[in-house]
Amino acid sequence: MNINIKKDILRPIFQMDWIMNVAITLLLITGIMFVYSSCYISDDIPVRLLYKKQIGWALIGTLGYFFFSIIDYRTLRKFSWWLYAACLVLLVAVIFIGKEIYGAKRWLMLFGVGIQPSELAKLSILILLARKLSIPGENFISWKPVLLVLALVGLPIMLIMQQPDLGTSLVLLPTTFMMMFVANVPWKTIGTLALIGITCISIVLGAVFIPEKLGADKVVQAKVLHFVGLKPYHKKRIDVFFNANQDPLGAGWNKRQSEIAVGSGGLWGKGYLKGTQNILGFLPRSVAPNDFIFSVIAEETGFMGSTIIILLYTTILGCGIRTAFVATDKFGRLLSIGVVAMLFTHIFINIAMTIGFMPITGLPLPLLSYGGSFMVVMMLTLGIVQSVYIRSHHSPIIYKQGRLWETAPGS
Amino acid sequence: MRSQEQANRELIRLRVLLVVLASMLTALLAVMWMVQVVNASTYTRSLDKQSIRRIRLPGIRGSIYDRNGVCLAGNNPNYCVALYIEELRVPGKWDNTIDKIETIINDMSSEFGIEREVSRKDIATHIRRRLPLPFLAWKNISETFISQIKESDTPLQGIDIYVEPVRIYPEGNLASHIIGYVGRNKPAQNTKTPYHYYLPEMEGKAGIEKQFNSLLTGTAGGKLIRVDASGFKHDDKFEKDSKPGTDIKLTIDSRIQRLAEQSLHGVRGACVIVDPRNGDILALATSPSFDLSKFTPSIPTKYWRELNNDKRLPLFNRAISGAYAPGSIFKPIVAIAALESKAIKPDTEYDCPGYFKLGNSTFHCWKRSGHGTIDVRKALEQSCNVFFFNTGQECGYERIYYMAAAVGLGYKTGIPLPGEVSGLLPNNAWKQQKYHDSWRSGDTCNLSIGQGALAVTPIQMALYVAAIANGGTLYHPRLILQQGAKASTQHRWTPGKVANQLNWSMLTLETVRGGMFDVVNAPTGSGKRLRIPGLMMAGKTGTAEVGPRHNRRKNTWMIMFAPYTNPRYAISMVVEDGISGGITVAPRLRHLMLGIQQLKGKEKTG
Repeated sequence: MNINIKKDILRPIFQMDWIMNVAITLLLITGIMFVYSSCYISDDIPVRLLYKKQIGWALIGTLGYFFFSIIDYRTLRKFSWWLYAACLVLLVAVIFIGKEIYGAKRWLMLFGVGIQPSELAKLSILILLARKLSIPGENFISWKPVLLVLALVGLPIMLIMQQPDLGTSLVLLPTTFMMMFVANVPWKTIGTLALIGITCISIVLGAVFIPEKLGADKVVQAKVLHFVGLKPYHKKRIDVFFNANQDPLGAGWNKRQSEIAVGSGGLWGKGYLKGTQNILGFLPRSVAPNDFIFSVIAEETGFMGSTIIILLYTTILGCGIRTAFVATDKFGRLLSIGVVAMLFTHIFINIAMTIGFMPITGLPLPLLSYGGSFMVVMMLTLGIVQSVYIRSHHSPIIYKQGRLWETAPGS
Repeated sequence: MRSQEQANRELIRLRVLLVVLASMLTALLAVMWMVQVVNASTYTRSLDKQSIRRIRLPGIRGSIYDRNGVCLAGNNPNYCVALYIEELRVPGKWDNTIDKIETIINDMSSEFGIEREVSRKDIATHIRRRLPLPFLAWKNISETFISQIKESDTPLQGIDIYVEPVRIYPEGNLASHIIGYVGRNKPAQNTKTPYHYYLPEMEGKAGIEKQFNSLLTGTAGGKLIRVDASGFKHDDKFEKDSKPGTDIKLTIDSRIQRLAEQSLHGVRGACVIVDPRNGDILALATSPSFDLSKFTPSIPTKYWRELNNDKRLPLFNRAISGAYAPGSIFKPIVAIAALESKAIKPDTEYDCPGYFKLGNSTFHCWKRSGHGTIDVRKALEQSCNVFFFNTGQECGYERIYYMAAAVGLGYKTGIPLPGEVSGLLPNNAWKQQKYHDSWRSGDTCNLSIGQGALAVTPIQMALYVAAIANGGTLYHPRLILQQGAKASTQHRWTPGKVANQLNWSMLTLETVRGGMFDVVNAPTGSGKRLRIPGLMMAGKTGTAEVGPRHNRRKNTWMIMFAPYTNPRYAISMVVEDGISGGITVAPRLRHLMLGIQQLKGKEKTG
């Protein structure tokens, strides 16, 4: 295969959405700064040096980002089934040979580096869904293709729930829903699915609260929970979400301390490296650099800092939606919207969680939280968006290579 | 083919999605504004400045009582000044923080006029080793000092009064070996407890404190304290109460225990008093002992070193860990074995010329002039060796061995105290293993008078004499009367746990008891110094020779029970390096029995 450096590499890079590049870079730098801030006080040397590892992951992620921008996203369509199958294999493998950390089997050890197959699953599901939803001529009026799509998402979700990793499973559902919405699935179907979703949530909440309210004994309560498919710790978290005071020493601790951290930040914050909640260790050091990085940022930089972070995310999401608008084909459009949906779900749930508006689900914050697999996968998905952008209407050059399912108007 | 119309529909949907996402992000920003700007004052004024410090409350250790409800080990509050170092943390090097702590300690020292107890090195060590724990700048401070600190105007950040239960021993040095003592645990390394600050629990290191540690230790609770950003304490909120440990009531009678300890004053030895009716241990005294009152609030290093270097081994619990040759107090077992196996009859007589010839070797009686022709009862009274040499040869070592094993010699009695030894009951197999030689008649001679390799503990002897006293029932020693009982409740008499029912014939018992009665009451009896007018007692003296020939030392023994009919007390006493059982031990036991008699008299009149 001949690669023309100027034509195949430099020109795409030149054609990238540079606004998005800038926003991503700023977020990555902020992330490294605050991973340092949340850990520099630790007595544990490896924890104190976590920020160095984060720099490494950010660099690897950036390489992947450029690689995925440069290659044509349409080639992903060919590999989508293979990727999906590989992820299923890894997800099954992690159940058997995964490494258990904090009571969850999420990591596969490869050459001394722990990788999370559930993060890779997010990527592969996204690509396969975009393909399945962009089959030409399919209008999703019948239920069969809709159910197929749901089954394709449901299988890995079931495997991820085994780990257990409620957060990741929870991200996949809104993502699928938003992709289906943009893919022109009829309103009737969309409405039905939304109704089913609301019913499910009601059943879960009902299972948690109604038996207790009715005065049923512990055994019956446990049976109802089991029937709905919930583990006792799920109930605890939901309980804590609605009433943090009932267990301030245990499960309510993180939520409460995170709220205090964010709230005490005020308008301007306490200053970099000066967050007392973090220094005094009220915000547990095991979660501060990953799931609760936003609390550290909000405490030290105040409302101004949190606004800037949210605006930077809004910029990236805006760029993604613009890409979806200008994409030349439905596959590209759905890819972009999938990435936007996934990013948005992470950001919204995570930030809302730090101020107590969402139950604690263990979802990291994209580009900011510490974590290798997550960082790399997020950068790859953003690379896909760039790839779609480079080959869009907006771009003066439209590559005619590869199999085009449609011809863009005006080309 | 995809129609333009369909693509347009997608774009409409995209716009809908855009609006939804944008409004959700706006809502998020609005909520953030509410939390961080509008409500920030709530957080900064009342909540933000008040973080929550979690403190672990140790469960108070269970108390130890004697059988009458006298407290032998309890708890007292000990007030300490605690510095919470993580809240006093100064950014940068640890040296900065240490400087700050030094300043605080110096300030407090000059303000309240108390002397510094800790050095800079102590602070550094604490930071290095026990950072999450409060640093105790002053331990055991007075109540006036506490009120001074509480009334002080200057907010004391990161400083608090820490109340810590310490073990106290109201009876001082009484029953030290039974109670044992406690020491501080090392903090658990990988603890899942969510409490930021805690002190490790006290843990029993000896005696009952060690044996029943898990029972005595309480369950820790937790406390929440609101703390300023500057570390100032606002109000307490109890979250989880700690649970106290279980109390233990011993079978020990502290009055009798004290008498037993007094009777051993100035010598090395042990005394065990058992209730022959059920195996209750009424006293378990060891001398020399150690003073538990000095062990509060913690064991002083100097005293501890003194105890460990003392050649008299005051930490050694002789009553259960001391294995001694029994000497003549073993003779009743030989007599029982011979009588029960019909090897001799009560009226069988042997002549004692003062020595006993076995092949080429000669074994001597302690009385060189000889006892003349005597029967078993007289032989016990006089403790005649030659009679028992003859008896031993007649009945064979195996019968003696099995009878001794039947009363528990060579086995641990199972008293619930750490460090008990089994002693040694030699037999052929043992001798083969140890000396690669078979059992010989000479060994039987030595065994017949309780010499040789035979080694017994005072507790074994007490239970054995209790079995003679109660007519042949060997009890398990009982030290724990009740668990978790209230101290005040009166304990009812309960039957003991039988270890072995020996089924001795009445004739055998009458003969042996008669001999033991004569030991005390006959004008020539070896234990006549025990005699108390009006109290019928029976006993047996023993003087065991130990050590090499040129440096013979004598362990002097006496076992006894009283009253002769319906016995209530079975006693064994050993004194190291005495003159003889009759001269050294009997007067001490007499003193002990007088004391007990007095107690009973008081009980009746009172």
